[in-house]
Amino acid sequence: MQHYNNYSGLEASVLGFCELCRSHELSIGLNHSEEALMAAQSGFINDSKSFKIALRSIFCSCEEEHSIFDRCFDIYWRKKRHEYMPKTRTRKQTKIIKQTKESVVLVGSGDEEETKKDGARTVSGANKMESLRKTDFSKVQDIDHLLMDELAEKLLLQLNHRLKRRLRASKDGKIDFRKTIRRNLSQGDNFFELLKKNRKFEKYRMIILLDVSGSMDKYSFYLLKFIWTLKSNFKNIEAFVFSTKLLRITEFIEKVQIDQAMLQMNTNSDHWSSGTVIGKCLQEFNDQYSKMVLNGRSITVILSDGLDTGEPELLSEELKKIKLRTSKVIWLNPLKGMEGYEPLAKGMKAALPEIHTFESAHNLESLMELEKYLSHV
Amino acid sequence: MLPDISHLIKKLDSLGYVVEEEFATILLLMLKLKKPLLLEGPPGVGKTEASQIIASYLNTKLIRLQCYEGLDVNSAIYEWNYQKQLLSIKLTESSALSSAEKESYIFGDEFLLKRPLLQAITESDKAPVLLIDEIDRADEEFEAFLLELLSAYQISIPEMGTIKANHLPIVVLTSNRTRELSDALKRRCLYHWVPYPEFQKELAIINKHLPDINQVLASQLVKFVQYLRSLKLDKSPGIAESIDWAEGLIALGAKAFTHEYIDKSLGVILKSDKDITNIRGQGIDSILNEIET
Repeated sequence: MQHYNNYSGLEASVLGFCELCRSHELSIGLNHSEEALMAAQSGFINDSKSFKIALRSIFCSCEEEHSIFDRCFDIYWRKKRHEYMPKTRTRKQTKIIKQTKESVVLVGSGDEEETKKDGARTVSGANKMESLRKTDFSKVQDIDHLLMDELAEKLLLQLNHRLKRRLRASKDGKIDFRKTIRRNLSQGDNFFELLKKNRKFEKYRMIILLDVSGSMDKYSFYLLKFIWTLKSNFKNIEAFVFSTKLLRITEFIEKVQIDQAMLQMNTNSDHWSSGTVIGKCLQEFNDQYSKMVLNGRSITVILSDGLDTGEPELLSEELKKIKLRTSKVIWLNPLKGMEGYEPLAKGMKAALPEIHTFESAHNLESLMELEKYLSHV
Repeated sequence: MLPDISHLIKKLDSLGYVVEEEFATILLLMLKLKKPLLLEGPPGVGKTEASQIIASYLNTKLIRLQCYEGLDVNSAIYEWNYQKQLLSIKLTESSALSSAEKESYIFGDEFLLKRPLLQAITESDKAPVLLIDEIDRADEEFEAFLLELLSAYQISIPEMGTIKANHLPIVVLTSNRTRELSDALKRRCLYHWVPYPEFQKELAIINKHLPDINQVLASQLVKFVQYLRSLKLDKSPGIAESIDWAEGLIALGAKAFTHEYIDKSLGVILKSDKDITNIRGQGIDSILNEIET
């Protein structure tokens, strides 16, 4: 039973409480236990309310943890022991994991039967990885999914490292007075050698708008993964998904793992795999967010197949507005990877004049190639 | 309530800061444990002011570091006075000093420009209050640097060696939560979430700042502001705005909290065009009716 009566002495009961909180997933280090003890010894323990507030400020690191803490505290330090210990640990956790996997498979593979009908290229042997790099996301067979995930992670990580290196290597810069003075001290005031400091790489903000409508189903999972990879390079990333409505997903990127996020997004929005009204969504973006997220040092990336059921005029008008506010507009279209593709869909056609770069994003290799646009901004 | 806490509340109250039991407890704990305090909460709830009050309660100096994106070590800790160094090199050129002596001279105390963090740990007579304001705006690199400072309270300057704090400063960090802070930083701090104040507290704060205010007007104003906060606004008004508004209404010569005065001065409390049109659209009279019931 977790109750202070079970421990003898102040020290043991405080430590017992730390143990209880730890088992309820509050992150409590040794220093916290020590501080809790100090708080108790310095008189806070004489008043239960003060003691609770004091320990809460030591143990919690955000507001959300308060409720867990309060429950632990009330159980552990309650005056009388009662028989029925409330169960504080819920089963919710395991459920989430299960659901997550399902939803990943759901989005990752799109419609299973359709994939089979499409007749994906069978690849085998040593060069499987090599060919998977070039396989269109929509044609990945079910059995290859795990392999593909692994490969995607590896390649995207590489991309990330390379991007980082490239952005750092810059030759011009201001004179570094500190280093210059040190180096030239022996020459008096004649500075033979001017030492420069590299410019700190200026953080670009990246705004990503991902189309998650039905027609993009087979791509959206990998593209979402791509967004997650970019987040570690572009700290300032703003991401949105859209189909008939716009949904801001930045908070998911910042806080949670991709699997968890997929689940949350699925429950948060009912527009996964629905129709597409790009113009309207961009209008929503311009109205609500563009002033906040776009600036002269931002790149806007739109990931969409351009198959639009809305008005092309609206699309082109809204794109124009975005173009004015951002330094680069990149449109990535998975369909462009298909042989003989031409941007004939009226939405795509209307968009073309307003974008700077039009590229494909249908397999891992094409995603890797984006490096050149992302590193020279 | 512990006697220490009620004493602290009274003391802060006499300094003009209204504080409830919870916050007072944490302040007391902070002073006892000598641990940094992290205050999170929406803008304008008095996070920054808290540190000013602590400084005046302890009768010590407040050193403030305002964080912003791109804040670097040069502007947070120290910088060498390059111009002075150059001049000094020129002046000592013909002297007989050896190059090592020259070096130790120009990297001496005289040429050091202390920035807030260094100032805070070199304060000689009394532990100062160090306010690191809006830490969520600074880069993560800077946050990582702070970790070192907050656990060891020392700063190393390559040319001079390590400088240890004479007195451990009382550190208050504030954050508006525009991004999550790292766990490592959080676990070094006591944590307190500062919410928007309750009706009674806000009324008390306004009375503290404007002792002569008409009581009916003040209570209606606070109700109105509290109602605004319950709406989904672009920018919810903080306490600072309520005080400004009350002050503004007094300046306009308002005797009562009426439609006319509210409409005139809406810009004091709402800082976004969308919110203002929103509220006007909803009808100020209907809001007034609602808060009355």
